[in-house]
Parts: sequence; C-alpha cells; structure tokens
Amino acid sequence: MVEDQTPRIGVFICHCGTNIAGSLSVADVVKYAQTLPNVIVAKDYQYMCSTPGQTMIKEAIAEHKLTGVVVAACTPRLHEPTFRIATREGGLNEFRFEMANIRDQNSWVHMHDWDGATAKAKDQVRIAVAKARLLEDLTPKSVPVEHAAMVVGGGVGGIQASLDLASAGIKTYLIEQTPSIGGRMSQLDKTFPTLDCSQCILSPKMVDAGRHPNIILKSYTEVESVEGYIGNFEITLRRKARGTRNAAEMEAAGLKGSGCNGCGDCTSVCPVIKPNPFEFGMAPRKAIYIYHPQVVPLQYTIDFDACVKCGLCKEICGPEKAAIDLDMVDTFEKVKVGCVILATGYDLIPIEDKTEWGYKRYENVITGLEFERLICASGPTGGHLIRPSDGVTPMKVGFVLCAGSRDNTGGSSKPYCSRFCCMYSLKHAHQVMEKIPGCVPYIFYMDIRSFGKMYEEFYYRIQNEGAKFIRGRVASLQEDPVTKNIYVKAEDTLLGRPVTVECDIVVLAAAIKPKADAEHIRQMFGISKSQDGWYLEAHPKLNPCGTTTAGIFLAGVCQGPKDIPDTVGQAEGAASAASIPIHKGEVELEPYFAQCVESLCAGCGMCIPQCPYKALSLKSLDDGRQVMTVTEAKCKGCGTCGGYCPGGAIKMQHFTSPQICAQIDAFLLGGLGGEQ
Amino acid sequence: MVEKNYGNPELENKLRDRNYYVTDSNKDFSAEVKKLSGTISHMCYQCGTCTGSCPSAPRSSYRIRVFMRRAILGLEEEALSDPDLWLCTTCYSCSDRCPRDILPTDVIMAMRNLAFKTGHAVPKNFLQTVQLIYKTGHGVPNNDANRAVRERLGLPRDPPTTHTYPEYIPGIQKIIDHYNLKAEADRILSEE
Repeated sequence: MVEDQTPRIGVFICHCGTNIAGSLSVADVVKYAQTLPNVIVAKDYQYMCSTPGQTMIKEAIAEHKLTGVVVAACTPRLHEPTFRIATREGGLNEFRFEMANIRDQNSWVHMHDWDGATAKAKDQVRIAVAKARLLEDLTPKSVPVEHAAMVVGGGVGGIQASLDLASAGIKTYLIEQTPSIGGRMSQLDKTFPTLDCSQCILSPKMVDAGRHPNIILKSYTEVESVEGYIGNFEITLRRKARGTRNAAEMEAAGLKGSGCNGCGDCTSVCPVIKPNPFEFGMAPRKAIYIYHPQVVPLQYTIDFDACVKCGLCKEICGPEKAAIDLDMVDTFEKVKVGCVILATGYDLIPIEDKTEWGYKRYENVITGLEFERLICASGPTGGHLIRPSDGVTPMKVGFVLCAGSRDNTGGSSKPYCSRFCCMYSLKHAHQVMEKIPGCVPYIFYMDIRSFGKMYEEFYYRIQNEGAKFIRGRVASLQEDPVTKNIYVKAEDTLLGRPVTVECDIVVLAAAIKPKADAEHIRQMFGISKSQDGWYLEAHPKLNPCGTTTAGIFLAGVCQGPKDIPDTVGQAEGAASAASIPIHKGEVELEPYFAQCVESLCAGCGMCIPQCPYKALSLKSLDDGRQVMTVTEAKCKGCGTCGGYCPGGAIKMQHFTSPQICAQIDAFLLGGLGGEQ
Repeated sequence: MVEKNYGNPELENKLRDRNYYVTDSNKDFSAEVKKLSGTISHMCYQCGTCTGSCPSAPRSSYRIRVFMRRAILGLEEEALSDPDLWLCTTCYSCSDRCPRDILPTDVIMAMRNLAFKTGHAVPKNFLQTVQLIYKTGHGVPNNDANRAVRERLGLPRDPPTTHTYPEYIPGIQKIIDHYNLKAEADRILSEE
C-alpha cells in the first residue's frame, strides 16, 4: 500500500466510441491533463472499460508507481465498480480511484458545442485530479444479513416472489393490506391468450402461499414504518383490527376457543349490508364478510366502519369458537428482514374524469375490471353478462381501447401504454361471442399491441371468430335516454368516414395507475419513482428488479404496466435477486461512514439528534472524557453530522473536507487549484 | 413517364398516377403550419378522435384528420387547394378531445391564412365576412328579426358592441387595413 509520499496521479480518458470523442477533443483533454500538478501519466483509449483499457490502467499503476487513478468516462453508477477492480488489481487500494463523468454530464448534453464541451471536460478532469491527490486507503465493511425477507403486496407477483423465496429456504413475510391474498388476478375471469380460468390457476398458488412453512402470511396488515438498511431492515407492521381471530391467534392471545374456521354463520345473521368492493359495488356484502369463497386465509373480517356492534355474530359464533372480538384494536409488530420485495400493483384511473365517455353518468358504460366480474361465474350475475340499466343481455358490445392511455392531456390521463388492455379486450370479445350466440363485439382501437408469445395468433383467432375491428379512437359516447343504449362515435380512419355504432353496453379499457398509497410506501422504503409514479428500477434493461436502494426489489405492475406472465417473470427475478445477499449471509457496505476525530471532539452530543439513521452515540474514554462514536453499519455517509459539528471533529470518509475544498478550489481557481 | 392518351379525359383522370412521392413534401410547409398554429401539429398519431368529434364531418367530405396528415407530410398544395379546408366551423371539439393535446382547429386556421397568403381560392362568403366586419365590426351583424327577439327577452335592441359604440369601428378598420385584408377581399370579389 501507499506510504506518505508526493501524489502520483494517472489520468485515463475514454472515447466511449463516439459518445465522448464525437463531441469534444479527447486529444486536447489528454494534453491538458498532462500539465496538471502531480499527474504522471495521461492517456486515452477507445473503450476504457474493455479488457485492454483496464490493462492499461493496471500497467500504468505498476510502471509509474501511481498513488491515485482518475478515469474520465461515463457514470460511476455504470463503471465505478469496473475501474475500482482494475485499480485494486493494479496494486492500489480501490478507493484511490476517482471518476469524472464527461459523458452523461458533458458530451451528451453539449453535443453541438465542441469547444465548450472540451473546456468543461478539462474542468472536470482538473477537479477529479484535485480529489485524487488526497484520496486515502479505505476498507469496506461487511454486515450480516438477516435470513428473512418481506414481500409487500399479495397479488400474483407477491405470491410468486414469496413462494420462490420460501422454497429457497428463506423465512418470508407476505404482507397484504386486504383480508385476502390474490390481488387483481383473483378478480379476473379468464386469462389471455390461453383462456385459462384465472382463479383456477391462481388458487393453487394462493393455497400454497397460505400453508408454506416458510411463509408468514399477514393479511389485513400494512407497513407502518421502516428502519435500517440492506441485511437489517426493521419493519413495523400494523395489523388492522379484523374483529376475528383464527386458531393460532387465539392461542397466541391466550384465549379459550378454537377461533374462526370460516363457517360463515356470522355473515348469515349480520344485519348490515354494504357494497362489496371486490365486486366494484355490484354485489352486496355484510359488515362481517369474506370477499369470495376462495379467500386465503379463510377468515372473516369485520368492517368496523359499517358494524353496528349488535353482537349477533358473536352470539352465533358461540363460546366454543369464540372467534369474534368486537372491541379489537389495531396492533403493531416489529419484524427484522434482510431484503424486501415490493409488489403493490395498480388501480384503474378515475375514468369518469374523461367526461366524453360518460362513465358513472351512463349506466351501460363499464370498465374492463367490472366486465371481468360480470362475465365471471363467481361474480354478482353468475357469469351472465347483463346491462346494468335493465338486466337485458347485450347483443352489441362496444370496446373502447386506450381509454385514458396514450393520452397527453394531463389530469387523470396517462401518456403511457397500459400494455394489457388490447389483449384483455380481445379476450372480452371472445367471451361475449362464446357466451352470447349472435352477440357482436365492436373493438375501437388505434393499434392492436399483441406483442407476447401467442398473442398475435390470439388476435387472428378473435378476428376469425367474428369480432369487428374499427380503427379509430372513440370521440364520444352518447346515451339514448329512453333505451339507455350507447351511441359510440368515432372515425373509421381506414375508410376516412365518421361512424356511429349503437351498442347495448360499452366497456372502457381504462388506463392504469400506481395504487393510491404507492407514494407513501415508496417514501417509507426510500426508493425512487419514474416520472409517471411507477417505482423506479435500478436499470431499465440490466437491473429491472432492483432499485437504487440496496436490499429493496420490485415485482409486477408497481414498477410499470405489465401482464401476468411478465409480472410472474419479474417476481421470480426479484426473488432470485433478493435471495443473493440473504444466502450469502453478509453484505459489503461502502466505507463512506462518518468518523469521530476524538482529539477534536468536545463531547457536546449536538450531532446525535441530527443523524437521520440513529447511527451516533456518546462513549466515555479511559480519561473520562466523553466523545461521539459512530455505529458504522447504520451510517449511510449522508454527511449531516459532518456539516453540523461545530468543532470540525467529524470526518466523512471519501468525502473529507480537504478533498471537497480541493475540488472547489480546482474548479474556481483553475489550474492553481492543485497547488496547496 | 409515358403520357397515356385514351382520348377520354374522364378515364385518364381515373387512371392517373396516384402515388404519393416524398418529393411532393415541402417540409417548410410543415414548419410554417407548426409556427403559425402555435400547436404541436407534427405530433398527430391519426387516431381520428378529431373527425369523430367533428360536427362537420358527418355532413361533408371535410376530414380534419386528413389535414393533420397533410401538415405532417408537408403536402402543401393538396392542403391549400382543397375546398374542404373552409368547412371547419371552429367549434374546437377536436381540440378539446385530442389525446395528443394538439389544437387541430388552429392548424386549420394556420392553413387558411397560408392559403390566403399564397393566392389560393378563398370562398366568397369568407371574403364577404371580411367586408362585413370592416363595415359593422361584426361577422354576423344584428338584424331586425334578431332585434325583435332581443326586445322580447328584455335586452337592448343592440348588444354593447360596435353596434352600440360605432366610434370603435375605425379602430377595427385600421387593424384590417394593416393586413391589407379588406382591399384584397374587395379585389378578389370584384374579379369574379
């Protein structure tokens, strides 16, 4: 390792093909770098990240006895690990490496300003060299990883991720905010393009999740707060007052009785009737309820907003089961996990905001999800599609695609494609033709996006079955006030003629959006979002399951619209990614933590409440003096304490005050910055 | 290309070359329409919501979507010489509903301005409207039938516009004269 000595810096400038070299003069920057103080060698190469490029760095370290390496190239996020390894393999401590981002922050944004970009690249290299001169050897720290995971959201994505983690031997908490797992998929009738019964293929997975020895299923539960970091998340759960206890909960509470067995006696005597949100209000439920017969867990739930506490349910439940507790309150529980997978799903946009389509004003205009319940055998009509206005079977069904998707008008509309509406509308068309002989579906579309395996073939099949496709976005829907039929107005753009189709019922393929509480959950877990509110993946192509926060992974629609195959695929990917640190058992943290310079610390303790991660505390030295100490595993290196300390006694490793001052000086004072 | 000659103009028109050639495009026209309209006319994805919303379309050959296409492709002559250009009622239904947030109505207005500027035929009634505005300050001036209705509704016989305040008409005339609009309208109408 390097002893105290005059810094010897090597500068390596990458062309990145023409990404950098096409917008600025690499040769000029190399020449300039050679004039900077302490720079021993400056070179350029077409691709520094390639094996010859890395070899160039390694050989230069040995040949010139370098103490620091500067690479001017792309982003640290992309290639800092690459160049750190090259630095280490060259015989230097890997933290004696500094990167200047002359691509994303320079050549890409100043593509048409050759001289300006070249001058800026010189500034960036000078600043990086100024820091590299002061870099120190650092050692990463390893922390143990809790052998447990949490999956937030019990839809098909969350279920699949939990099953994978659990089957890999990891204790997995599956958190679901509603009384049953199953999510959106359990509301669907059939799935495209295979036309499997959705519930039939989902319920085995729900049952497996419910009884897997490694899955701790927490339904009717929400995440209350999150603390900690990868390997050591401490998560507080709010178990919402459910009003009933199952056998295990009875035992845990030390109560007599066998608990809820799902018999349903309670619901038959309950006098309160409310709309069932699982059926989008198209069917009733009691104040004590289950959503549908296949719920997991099979345990009744009391809606305390509706319950009048008459006690009839408690009476009929009887002392043997004694499952019902009308005075139950929310309880809290803390669990420790190593990694978290978020699988929070989606909602439909409030499509009534697009007033030209009249949803909620016209009775016979419904959404795709409502159609699923109306065509589903376990739905409110026993699978008979009927018009909400009069219960008559429709013979002409209109389908409005891109209802609020691919729409740049703002408000509730979404500029993105919701990705599964084309396919489910084709499936709906098939279902009406299959169930109602003679019924004609009219599909109003802009493009049919049938991109998946066997999807285009499905499109062919539905057209062959007789569905009518009209290439034009629906301009407006108008209700006949007497018949309650809906006039669908559009342009058949292929004929170039306006068209009006009188339909008996119209189905809006409404756009989707993140769940209402997705933003709150995102902030608790400290992850980023895309411009449209979906959770942001670490890399859209190469790390689609990870996030920029270590230990947090994504599965399903919460990351962006996707259908069931893609959701399940991503869930398996997220489970695999999350299991890596858990199985490894430890995770390396970058050594960017704060350090107390004990000789300067006055022990005032003012830094302690400033720390957002509760990483600081006071300790007594042998001479009785009090000084601050840092729990390195908790410290994230944010620098709040370092900036706050009145005595300058806190050193932020890798971002020390002298290093940052040297960078600022180098920028503001030009070439003089290096001479201290 | 070999000139076809069947000695039958109707048949020759039927059999004429109908290819659209890239050389027919004038990209300056696309840019000009975008600038004059002040809307993102190049972002149309041809969904047809505009024509589907258009009160003129079911009763005429006017297709606003086709004009949007011509704007994108730079089909200047085809757009400006098409008499359908003048069938828009400027109700703005298309602009209300366009999912790309374009204002097709303003694209039509831009094309009308360009048509006038480049000497394409402008329907007589539009030119007469210019004369009416010049004279009265109104495209549709008040008339006796209307005055009677207004009286019955308890309104003053004339609205509080140039009809009540004719002293503002010279100001309007000044604006119209600045663009030479009245003189041009007079000239074209007198030539017919």
